[in-house]
Amino acid sequence: MNDETLAALLEIVHLPGLGPARARWLLSEGEPQQVVMALRQRRVPVVAAEAPTGVTRALLEKWFAAIGRGTGRDLLDAHRSAGIMLLGPDDPLWPFTDDPEPPVLLFGLGCPDALAVPHRVAVVGTRRCTSVGRNVAARLGEDLAAAGVCVVSGLALGIDGAAHRGALEAAHPSCRPVAVVGAGLDRIYPPGNRALWAALADDGLILSEAPLGAPPERWRFPARNRLLAGLSSAVVVVESHERGGALLTADEAAERGVVVLAVPGSVRSAASVGSNGLLFDGCPPVRDVDDILAALGLDTSPVPARSGQVSSDWSSEMPRDGEIGRAVLSEAATGPVHVDTLVALSGQSVTSVLGCVRALEDAGRIRLEGGWVHLGGSTR
Amino acid sequence: MAGPLGERSGLLGVDVVLASMSSAVVLGVEGHPVRVEVHAGNGLPGFTIVGLPDASCREARDRVRAAILSSGLTWPMERVTVNLAPSDVRKVGAGLDLAIALCVLAASKQVDVEQLARVGAVAELGLDGSLRPVKGLVGLADAVVCTDLIVAERGAEQAAVIRPGSVRAASCLRQVVDGLRGDGPLPPVVEVSEVAVGTGPVFDLADVRGQPMARLALEVAAAGGHHLLMVGSPGSGKTMLASRLVGLLPDLAPDDALLATKIHSVAGLGLPAGGLLRRPPFRAPHHTASSVALIGGGSSAIRPGEISMAHAGVLFLDELGEFPVAVLEALRQPLEDGVVRISRSAASATMPARFQLVAAMNPCPCGEGTTVGSCRCSEAARSRYARRLSAPLLDRFDLRIDVLAPDALLLLTEGKEEPSVEVARRVTEARAVSADRGVRCNAALSSSQIDQFASLDSSARALAERALRAGELSGRGLRRVRAVARTIADLQDARPQIDAQALSLALSLRSKPLLGGIS
Repeated sequence: MNDETLAALLEIVHLPGLGPARARWLLSEGEPQQVVMALRQRRVPVVAAEAPTGVTRALLEKWFAAIGRGTGRDLLDAHRSAGIMLLGPDDPLWPFTDDPEPPVLLFGLGCPDALAVPHRVAVVGTRRCTSVGRNVAARLGEDLAAAGVCVVSGLALGIDGAAHRGALEAAHPSCRPVAVVGAGLDRIYPPGNRALWAALADDGLILSEAPLGAPPERWRFPARNRLLAGLSSAVVVVESHERGGALLTADEAAERGVVVLAVPGSVRSAASVGSNGLLFDGCPPVRDVDDILAALGLDTSPVPARSGQVSSDWSSEMPRDGEIGRAVLSEAATGPVHVDTLVALSGQSVTSVLGCVRALEDAGRIRLEGGWVHLGGSTR
Repeated sequence: MAGPLGERSGLLGVDVVLASMSSAVVLGVEGHPVRVEVHAGNGLPGFTIVGLPDASCREARDRVRAAILSSGLTWPMERVTVNLAPSDVRKVGAGLDLAIALCVLAASKQVDVEQLARVGAVAELGLDGSLRPVKGLVGLADAVVCTDLIVAERGAEQAAVIRPGSVRAASCLRQVVDGLRGDGPLPPVVEVSEVAVGTGPVFDLADVRGQPMARLALEVAAAGGHHLLMVGSPGSGKTMLASRLVGLLPDLAPDDALLATKIHSVAGLGLPAGGLLRRPPFRAPHHTASSVALIGGGSSAIRPGEISMAHAGVLFLDELGEFPVAVLEALRQPLEDGVVRISRSAASATMPARFQLVAAMNPCPCGEGTTVGSCRCSEAARSRYARRLSAPLLDRFDLRIDVLAPDALLLLTEGKEEPSVEVARRVTEARAVSADRGVRCNAALSSSQIDQFASLDSSARALAERALRAGELSGRGLRRVRAVARTIADLQDARPQIDAQALSLALSLRSKPLLGGIS
């Protein structure tokens, strides 16, 4: 795509009140330059296709007023100097070739090679997640990346962020995580994920269809979710409340024929109501990364074993106080368990239970926070 | 004018009457001696008080005049000037009333000036001439320079605690005047009654069902004087546990008892029968407490705050996460120094504030964070809540545990849990061991003392190294953990070296609490 086309496209996506549907409508019958020209002459550039809802005379007037300024070149320079890549439909890495609702232009920050990986899996879920969900998402992210699958997610708090962190943890040389955000790439949102944002910009790829300066408006997130679904060959919902963005992503994936998988959660956990609902509706469950790889038709063996991994054979490296240790590990397997509960179950003194917990923690099998025993390593 | 005034206005210049006696005012928590001087002489009849009296002290003019008149005595028709020396100390409160009245009477020759030389007085006067007690009597009684101190009957035993045998309690001004004139007996000396100590703690640990980890933490906190943070859902028994800590602590040492009594007296808190505070105080201010209420201060008089009232005892901050951040940060310096220095434009004071901090908070704003899936807080709200506790403040807590509500079945069982008396016995023994090291408790061990008394054996050293390498502990954290491990070893068998078992227990009791919740 030459600079003139890009400049015209940029001018179009910067129009006020322009979402992906209206952008596609504007560009449905002409090249970007022609559309810009028509708008400059206060003409509606589309004659055949019916206008999407909400395109009123008033909105058109706004567009006519905005387009007259002819700032496409400046916008192009601004994006280039900010280090933002512009990805158009003619780019060899363009991932939305068959998508029913593709973006007209993608903005990228980081390594574009991340899109060269053949398999992409979206790991998504609620922002209000449990620590179990967070651990599962991080683990799946890490294992998927280690297996050479590109992990895609939305850089939100909770599950999304955990999946990204896990994928970054794997540090696979060619398989880098991809984040799709709703706002412009100069708007770090949510601010709490600033560090993760920086890490992804360094070692992964952050994509957005919103131009620089676009604020994180509500309507941008469902649109972002459709990109997550469109990018991926499978969508894994780790935890979702009864309603939530993750379920929208799952709907978008279903429309595109992308397989949706869900991680089973406790029936008592409000954070798993949505994901358990997906299972009820027939989505395949995810017990570990192998289930995802199998759904993709990939070999399920290549995940290398890591330290701190909980194998079913505990006897191999039982520290001491074997009996209590076994009880601790099996209780903690279903979620965090309090030391008081372990004391009650084992009938041992609190000091010996704590001693045993400490030994297991020392061996990297569990971790103790306050009075709660969590399974797994030291990252929370 | 004829009469007495005429007789005294001669040219000799020797008939001017000057009367003075000892009294005291409160500064911070201590009494400060004040000399009351009254001059009655020629001039337009009037009554002025000089020497930096504040409003409550200046109002003595009207109280004293009314009290003298209602006692059937005469108000001098002269120019009466009261000076309160030293004149650079701000005089607050009504405790100087009686001394001013007696000096006025002496200056008008109704009482012999010589009689006032050996007595001091600290009491507020009622308009009918009755004597009323004042706040801070313990500290005041300590400060007044005299042989016999006259105080109001109510609360007189507080003064007697600090100067036994030389405190006389009177009910009204007339009784004092009659005694000094020889018209009646002097007010009786207050006897110090030896009240049996240790009526047993009101709150017994036997009432707490289960919760072995919290019990262990409480015992270690009591034995070592370590600050304790408890995190748990509403109803998990945090307040119940905290209120039982005092019952585990030994009686106050004599000097602590006196100081705590003084502070409580100044703060106007109730003192036990016999006047002396012997059990460690337990203060639990509400989380809406202002910074001044907690730390101490005030515009006219510097009053002790909750941290001073908890001196030598326990300060319990329930709902720690709800306290204003500024108030919590203000706790850091007193926690470090054991005293609080308050400076205001009018005055400054240093007040003792060596307290054991026990805090409780919910894991997250909605409080349900420990039950998977029931927390209603957003991720942002949870992390905001967790951030309310700054790392330096969190660092002050040597013991941090999550409290789990006991199982329903456990609540219904009839079985007897270990009572406070048993635990308190172990605590007293452990404290005796640490007293041999020359400290009150192990929490007060200095760095060099920790090196000396809490050396690590090889297994403990390896454990500490792993914890340090894992980033779980800082250098400062390690010192605190060693102090806690010392307490644990003292509770067990007072073995000289810290082994891996004691250190690992100490580490377990100091892990990162579950702020922000599980879910």
